[in-house]
Amino acid sequence: MIPLLSVIVATLAAGTVFTFLAGNRARWVALATTVAFLAEVAFLFLAFPGWPGYNAALVPGFADSESYSWISIAWMHVNYTVGVDGISLVLILLTAVLQLATVVYSWAETKRPAAYFGLVLLTCLGCFGVFIALDVLLFFLFWEAVLVPMFFLIGYWGGPQRRYAALKFFIYTHVASIVMLVGLLALVFYSGAASFDFSAIYASARGLSSVVQSFLFLALFFGFGVKFPIVPFHTWLPDAHVEAPTGGSVLLAGLLLKLGGYGLIRWAVELLPNGLHTVQPILYIVAFVSIIWGSVLSLSQRDLKRMIAYSSINHMGIVLLAIALDSSLGLLAAVLLMFAHGIVSALLFMTAGSAHHTFGTRDIPALGGITPTTPTLSTLIMVGSLASLGLPALISFPAEFTALLATWNTLAYWVIVPLVVLVVTAGFYLWMMQRMLFGPPKGIPSSAHDVPWYEGAGMGILVALTILFGILPGLLVNVIMSSPIKGFPGT
Amino acid sequence: MDLSSFAGPFLPEIVLLAGTLLIFLLDVLGVRRIETTGAVAVGATALALLFVVADLGLGPLSALATIPSGQIDTLVAPGATPLYAFTSLGFIFQGIFLLAAFFVALASMSRPSSERGAPIFYGLLLLATLGMLLVAIASDLIFLLLAIEITSISTYLLVGYTRRDVRSLEAAMKFYIIGALSTSLSFFGASLLFGAYGTTNLYAIRAVAGAVGYPVLVLLGYGFLIAGLAFKATLVPFHAWAVDVYDGAPTDVTAFLTGGSKKVGLFAFFLVFLGPVLFVAPGAGGSPFAGGTIDLGPVLQITLSILAVVTMTVGNILALLQKEMKRMLAYSSISQAGYMLIGIAIGTSPALAGATLQMFAHVFMKTGAFLVVAGVAALGIGPLIDDWKGLGLRRPLVGVAFGLMLLSLAGVPLTIGFVSKFVLFSAAVQAQGYFVWLAVAGLLNSALSVFYYARVLKVMFFDQPTPSSLPAGAVVGGSDPPLLRAGGFGTARAVAIALAAVAIVAFGIYPQPVLSAIQTAAQHFINVGA
Repeated sequence: MIPLLSVIVATLAAGTVFTFLAGNRARWVALATTVAFLAEVAFLFLAFPGWPGYNAALVPGFADSESYSWISIAWMHVNYTVGVDGISLVLILLTAVLQLATVVYSWAETKRPAAYFGLVLLTCLGCFGVFIALDVLLFFLFWEAVLVPMFFLIGYWGGPQRRYAALKFFIYTHVASIVMLVGLLALVFYSGAASFDFSAIYASARGLSSVVQSFLFLALFFGFGVKFPIVPFHTWLPDAHVEAPTGGSVLLAGLLLKLGGYGLIRWAVELLPNGLHTVQPILYIVAFVSIIWGSVLSLSQRDLKRMIAYSSINHMGIVLLAIALDSSLGLLAAVLLMFAHGIVSALLFMTAGSAHHTFGTRDIPALGGITPTTPTLSTLIMVGSLASLGLPALISFPAEFTALLATWNTLAYWVIVPLVVLVVTAGFYLWMMQRMLFGPPKGIPSSAHDVPWYEGAGMGILVALTILFGILPGLLVNVIMSSPIKGFPGT
Repeated sequence: MDLSSFAGPFLPEIVLLAGTLLIFLLDVLGVRRIETTGAVAVGATALALLFVVADLGLGPLSALATIPSGQIDTLVAPGATPLYAFTSLGFIFQGIFLLAAFFVALASMSRPSSERGAPIFYGLLLLATLGMLLVAIASDLIFLLLAIEITSISTYLLVGYTRRDVRSLEAAMKFYIIGALSTSLSFFGASLLFGAYGTTNLYAIRAVAGAVGYPVLVLLGYGFLIAGLAFKATLVPFHAWAVDVYDGAPTDVTAFLTGGSKKVGLFAFFLVFLGPVLFVAPGAGGSPFAGGTIDLGPVLQITLSILAVVTMTVGNILALLQKEMKRMLAYSSISQAGYMLIGIAIGTSPALAGATLQMFAHVFMKTGAFLVVAGVAALGIGPLIDDWKGLGLRRPLVGVAFGLMLLSLAGVPLTIGFVSKFVLFSAAVQAQGYFVWLAVAGLLNSALSVFYYARVLKVMFFDQPTPSSLPAGAVVGGSDPPLLRAGGFGTARAVAIALAAVAIVAFGIYPQPVLSAIQTAAQHFINVGA
């Protein structure tokens, strides 16, 4: 057996370095790295029937685990400890797929392509690391490692307000990381954990009193919540998403927001069950406010990209609600939702980017009847929107259905809130399509052309997955449910 | 006592002294080329560094050790009043001082050979470093203050050594007057303590401190001593001189001041407050005022905590407002002193280790950054931050190295600056009780500091160059001037900067060797005092 996770980290790291150095051939190196990454992720999944796989005894509950001493002094033991369970495995799949789609979609990037593709790979490396890290310092390190490449992606390749957006993004998320770090450190030292490892904290944190647990939970919730993002700390998101280049928006919406959800599940919900129980009402309120406010803001946007960005707040609010339910069905729903939103929002941001390339504007009222001119793009916008509003047989439907079911199980009639908001969401997507895709042609420049092959291919990958997992959600559910530590029934 | 057994332990100091004398001798003989004197200084600091590392017993070098390991970190017998004592923490600080001197000596070799004053610069640099090495082994207040004085007088002269630059002269004058004032404050404090304790030896003070109690004389004595040392360590509100001096001094000298000589003040804090352990940590969760009576320890602890928080906050806020690169870095240097003081205020061995690691990191980050600034200034680029527009794209290697230093100062992971802050703030959380708030204050401050470091990154990498930010000979919109080797910095400076940048990343990824050495040393240091 080989230490597959470290091999993947090494692949991505080496690929990133070579991409930076590759000059005009950077996209080929990036593509090769991505293909290798996908193949290795496939190996991870192939080991799945023999779960929990390589070195299972090392970190209980996690497969493919590795642990090496990193910093070891009298009062501080930090290890390089990695491992995956079903939840991280699904998000790793998302990382690999989005990396492929982004690299293909950005094939014709001409502005310093080596740096661009290198930063894309570095971002994905950071996200992958966050999903496998089982040590506080390692986790924080990968968490912050995502920040720097994204700062440069927004700040150099972004739109007109890119510098402001990059700075705002960096500062918001960095302050949140700091609060999260204090929370994690306090978790280690107050619980008297033997090391910074997840399993050591897992063994000791349950002994903390409810009061301490809830304070720690709130600190972690703030840290992870800004990445979600939760209202009222969401204002970095529209700026960052809108100003970022399309590839950057895809990674932001598809992956970076998931880091918040994953972090909350792994480092707060699993470690501090009493804390979650105590502060549950606060999470409900924040989740409901985020759901409603995100949807209202989304409804009032003219800019296609900004509309999609605000709808992310709404969708991630549902993820938070599902996590706050503190039930295994809720957790399942949260992970499914994150995967679905990762794919669908990435698709939508790509269509918005293509629309901008073709029409020179993303202003919804300024455009109309674009379907005859750009049939492929219109189809893709339609698929993305329908998936986002939860049409059955597309990926969001099983996720949202599970979330509503879990909400009903725990909160009963409160399920009306997300339900009504889902209807509103459907409304704004349909309204957008009606104005932009159909009706008499308006605002279409003569140079308008349908999507080039590489953009089409990038989006095609996502469409295929949207349909595949929409029809066969069981593939994902089985993997997620195999995480023993969550107390899923039947494992 | 025969000469060899006396000279052995002081080999690093003797090497530096010999280097100084050789440089002045060569000066008299008419050999004043910067390459020659520079090589002597680089060689002397490197050799001394080698001996210090050997004394620490690291790896195969331990064969070179000049002090038997049995004589390091020994408990002092009751009644003994040694002038100096060898502690492994002292050796680590000697290493830090020598590293700073080595980087500055190496980088300065790239200055034009026609420049006058090279022997003075290098001679004084070695002499100042010699004073620092003595500070690191002091165990008597008078010995300590005299050693600090060797460093201070050398650095007063270093700041003004160019003699032509009015700004440097003004800075030197200011530095001298404030320095003299702070020295007299320290000595006055020491004399009050002598009045109270009947001795100036730190070990003897520890022995009698309990019996003497806490009369006004002791409080006043420590008050004056703190004030005097706080000037040296640039703590707010004793910091006002620092920025003008750092700004006015030749930039290579600034690199030495911030990387080396200000840490002398901080190490003196270690010696005075942790050595004799007047200053007992209240333990996990303990209230500083527990027991109803105010003890001297907690009073000092709170004083130092407040000084730490005020220093980092004021330093950061003022750094945020600066338009000139050098002044921004100078204020950020003040705020870094605040982080280091956290470790002294907490007073546990983890915190001490964290503060020491922070100072170790600071040599690479801040000294390195000032060396880059000096090189950029030599290219004819203005002093304002905005003058650096587009520099990162025009000279990618310089941009990457300086970017790494700034990221490290900001505490971004995979840099030594992150590791040091991580250890320091972990130590604060680990001490629990109200120290957690010191960690929160420190972390919020480091978040604040990101503003001004990120702004420089933005200017360097995202902004288009303006006429004032172009090196001589380039035109706006025209093609870049041919990329000089080593970014136009000269080989020696480029090597020094590259070494610092590589160290920032290498220790950021694998800090274990340094960290375990520092942690062991810190534990011994607290035990020696106890």
